[in-house]
Amino acid sequence: MSTDIHALAGAYVLDALSDTERAEFARHAAACPSCAAEVAELAGTVTRLADLTRTAPPARLRQRVLAQAGRTRQAGPGRVPAAAPARWHRWAAGVAAAVVVAAGAGTGGFVLGDRHGAQAPVRAGEADRVLAVLGAADARVTTREVAGGRVTVVLSDTMDAGVASVAALPAAPGRAYQLWLIRGSTPSPAGLLGTGVTGAVRLFTGVRGADAFGVSLEPPGGSAQPSRPLVTSFPLG
Amino acid sequence: MSQPYQRRPRRVAPVPPAAAGDAPDLDALMRRVARGDEAAFATVYDELSARAYGLARRIVRDPALAEEVTQEAMLDAWRLAARFDPDRGSAASWILTITHRRAVDRVRSEQASAQRVRAAATEEVPYDQVVEEATARLERQQVRRCLDGLTELQREAITLAYYGGYTYREVADLLGAGLPTIKTRMRDGLIRLRDCLGVAAR
Repeated sequence: MSTDIHALAGAYVLDALSDTERAEFARHAAACPSCAAEVAELAGTVTRLADLTRTAPPARLRQRVLAQAGRTRQAGPGRVPAAAPARWHRWAAGVAAAVVVAAGAGTGGFVLGDRHGAQAPVRAGEADRVLAVLGAADARVTTREVAGGRVTVVLSDTMDAGVASVAALPAAPGRAYQLWLIRGSTPSPAGLLGTGVTGAVRLFTGVRGADAFGVSLEPPGGSAQPSRPLVTSFPLG
Repeated sequence: MSQPYQRRPRRVAPVPPAAAGDAPDLDALMRRVARGDEAAFATVYDELSARAYGLARRIVRDPALAEEVTQEAMLDAWRLAARFDPDRGSAASWILTITHRRAVDRVRSEQASAQRVRAAATEEVPYDQVVEEATARLERQQVRRCLDGLTELQREAITLAYYGGYTYREVADLLGAGLPTIKTRMRDGLIRLRDCLGVAAR
């Protein structure tokens, strides 16, 4: 493997090569398993950059695209793709659970909810606070994968408030996930999910001095102290 | 033009089989799209159009042109759905890769104007101020923080290429750096970004 051409992996996934170089690198990567693996990893990384530029397109585009799809013949499978097991675990999630839905166009109000199961409406003021925490200059983000799901915690010490986004936890029929802020070894409740609900956003206060975060499974309605063992607990960054 | 779907982006998020609380399983939807399911395609469009359009618009600048690029990319996704292979990366990654490639093709074919150079070099990545999904915000915040963790040169090389649509030669010119340096910075910048996003996900 040529060191020189291998170094083009970054430029390749950024679409920053000329067509000639691009073709050359693609040929090289096809015969170089380590290059192909790196390209796969970096291409996924690059995709995350598109999270930053989200802009809703005009509604007419939807109609146009769907109408044209209805008139467009699809290609067959073509080449047989090589079997390459995807490796996800190192990956931060993309836009996963949609937990905040706009309530009432133009009002700016929110419903913080669980996409399935009961919606948990909150006051518009609370939704604003969620967004304020997320946008706080001192906001710290900690993300942890839990059994295929994900817990993301954002804390702002200046606001003394935090937001937790929980997505795709394992199904727990008849029980409720409860969130905990932990100081030393003392847990305090930071939010409760509905019975059987596996994803939600919760806002909580009193975050100063918290050094860890935990999730437990409780009877419906929650508990004053977390049931052990916790589903997960992790230090806050 | 080479075929973007031959690239191997990796999956962005694990999709647990019973993730009823999650956004739609795009990979499963793509299998239906491959069989000509227009309703499934509409859902894929709804999930990804804001990211595809936003990316296209960032690169080509002109809103009407960005619409065209998004339309072409989405129709590629429809037309070529049978070639989408979830083992090689997520549907989101696949479609955004196609979109990026198409947008870049547009700006390259039109030749970089001095105006585009100035605009891309000075403009911030736009922050979202309006009603949006909180989860998307968290993810963006994480991406932004990870970008902030790069060296200046790494970050500029990556953002000029990705959002500006420049080749690494053009990026080297814009930044007054040598080709080998830019090449290397793009790669090790992305590796650092990957590790940052990944470490935080554990």
